[in-house]
Amino acid sequence: MARRNIMRNSLRSALACFGIVIGVVAIASLGILGFTLQAGFMDNMGDVANQIEVTPASGGDDPMGGTPTEDTLSDRDVRDVRQAAVGASVLPVKEEVVEIEYGTSSVTRTAYSVPEPDALFDAEEGRVPAQMSSGVLVGSTLAETTEVNVGSAVTVDNSSYRIVGILEEEPWTAPLNPNFGIIVPEGELRDEEYSSVIVEDESAEAANSTAQRIDESMNRRDDVVEVQESSEMIENIQEQQRLLNLFLIGVGSISLFVAGVSILNVMLMSTVERREEIGVLRAVGVQRTSVLKILLAEAALLGFVGGAVGVAFSILIGGVINHFMLEDALMVFRPANLRYLLTAMGFAVGISLLSGAYPAWKAANKRPVEALRG
Amino acid sequence: MILELEDAVKRYDSGEETLTVIDGVDFGVERGEFVTVMGPSGCGKTTMLNMLGLLDEPSEGTVRLKGEDVTGLDERERTRARKESIGFVFQYFYLIPSLTAEENVEAPTVFSGGSGGRAAELLEKVGLGDRKDHKPNELSGGQKQRVALARALVNEPDVLLADEPTGNLDKGTSKRALEQIRSVCDEGVGVVAVTHDERVKEYSDRDVQLDDGVVV
Ligand SMILES: Nc1ncnc2c1ncn2[C@@H]1O[C@H](COP(=O)(O)OP(=O)(O)OP(=O)(O)O)[C@@H](O)[C@H]1O
Ligand SMILES: [Mg+2]
Repeated sequence: MARRNIMRNSLRSALACFGIVIGVVAIASLGILGFTLQAGFMDNMGDVANQIEVTPASGGDDPMGGTPTEDTLSDRDVRDVRQAAVGASVLPVKEEVVEIEYGTSSVTRTAYSVPEPDALFDAEEGRVPAQMSSGVLVGSTLAETTEVNVGSAVTVDNSSYRIVGILEEEPWTAPLNPNFGIIVPEGELRDEEYSSVIVEDESAEAANSTAQRIDESMNRRDDVVEVQESSEMIENIQEQQRLLNLFLIGVGSISLFVAGVSILNVMLMSTVERREEIGVLRAVGVQRTSVLKILLAEAALLGFVGGAVGVAFSILIGGVINHFMLEDALMVFRPANLRYLLTAMGFAVGISLLSGAYPAWKAANKRPVEALRG
Repeated sequence: MILELEDAVKRYDSGEETLTVIDGVDFGVERGEFVTVMGPSGCGKTTMLNMLGLLDEPSEGTVRLKGEDVTGLDERERTRARKESIGFVFQYFYLIPSLTAEENVEAPTVFSGGSGGRAAELLEKVGLGDRKDHKPNELSGGQKQRVALARALVNEPDVLLADEPTGNLDKGTSKRALEQIRSVCDEGVGVVAVTHDERVKEYSDRDVQLDDGVVV
């Protein structure tokens, strides 16, 4: 009966359904978009959350007129960091601008040296040795632009090396990011001092307290070092993404709300139109609750059909988004995304019921004599 | 008496004025009795029928169904009483346009398990066996009237209330409709027909005149 009544005003019902479809698509696909952005980000950045970067305190001149701060860290600074960061691996980094020759061309890039490079990096090709002696590692972007391969020879500031590995692309949140540069064996760089110290801890939480300890022990009198946690940066970004997500879902909710208003309109119109029929049914002994039920069933059906079509579209759109951002369209079926789809569906039926409730209640409670009087 | 009004008064408040449409009516119908209520248009026939049929409450007075006072019942109980005991044939039939003849007849029963084939039987009985699947807009006035009669009987009522049963029908069709109502009455159902059509009287056991809100 509910279905037949909807069919009778198929155009108007279709329009209301269409509103619901748009609302659901808005909520679900914006939700999926937000989640996909987040997931894409976590894929890249998640594994550096346990790293801390200690750099010389910047700030040029000391405002108190003391000695200008240095822009490198000494062996003593590194020792201090080690003392504060017990239990974590402490990796002092040197860095220097060098001339890299390969084949017949050359580029000017930054060379880094770090003990235990295998703790920080993975190889795209070749391997990352625990201890570097005579080979070099090439950053991913540099390898792409120069088209060098594992095994070929390069010259760094007039010393010859063999390439032992090409690095995977490092996220930009990583404290040490050699994408554009090259990693050379320790002792190959002339500089005595260190540009930064990377501290790698067990977890993001451990890194957090270690960072605090380093800051407290080294910056007691003067700001000697700057301590930056990757996790903090990641958290900031995540927080922003959460806000973005909320905003996107908010936009979706508004469209669903508008759809609800159009359902309200459809239901009001159709109950006014059927005033007489409802009056007859009531007169021949159909209870108010039965009338209410059938009208609510109509509203729910509108919402359900609209919601189902909307979910189908959202899966399609989500698949496209995931295909382009995560290179796997099927990622749209992840539990978190399914939750968005379910929520949107629930909203669709819920809002339809809610906006159908008033007209239905009104129609069911009209006295039959009034409904039947011309 | 199966259904009766006792000293019933119906007033309508329209702004400043109060219009007294029914002014102290005593009226009743027995099982198997056919009573005609005559009166000119606008004299309050439909109003009286609505009170008898528990669609409207009298401003004063009592309505009794099978000897029981049903004046103060709440909406739910009145709806149940209508369903169990009263069949209506409305002045303008009021068939539901989206439903077929059979579905229209079945409508009073759909929320309580259907009529179990009784709807089709009743349509056969009123001579519309071959029109079961037609929509109201595919039926003539007389055929609609018969569908309305079948619908009124689907719940096996004790009383049948008919408002202008011949109102929109020609002479031959009216005769057929009245014969059918008469046969319903002969099966033990009390019938009240309100009309301004003198011919209805010929089929009834008793007739009363409604004038200026009182039965004479
Ligand atoms: N809800 C109402 N409010 C005010 N006046 C009403 C209302 N319902 C009916 N009336 C008045 O009551 C009077 C009787 O109306 P009713 O419909 O009972 O007449 P009737 O005898 O059935 O007429 P007809 O033969 O034309 O059907 C009319 O004058 C009408 O204007
Ligand atoms: Mg009337």
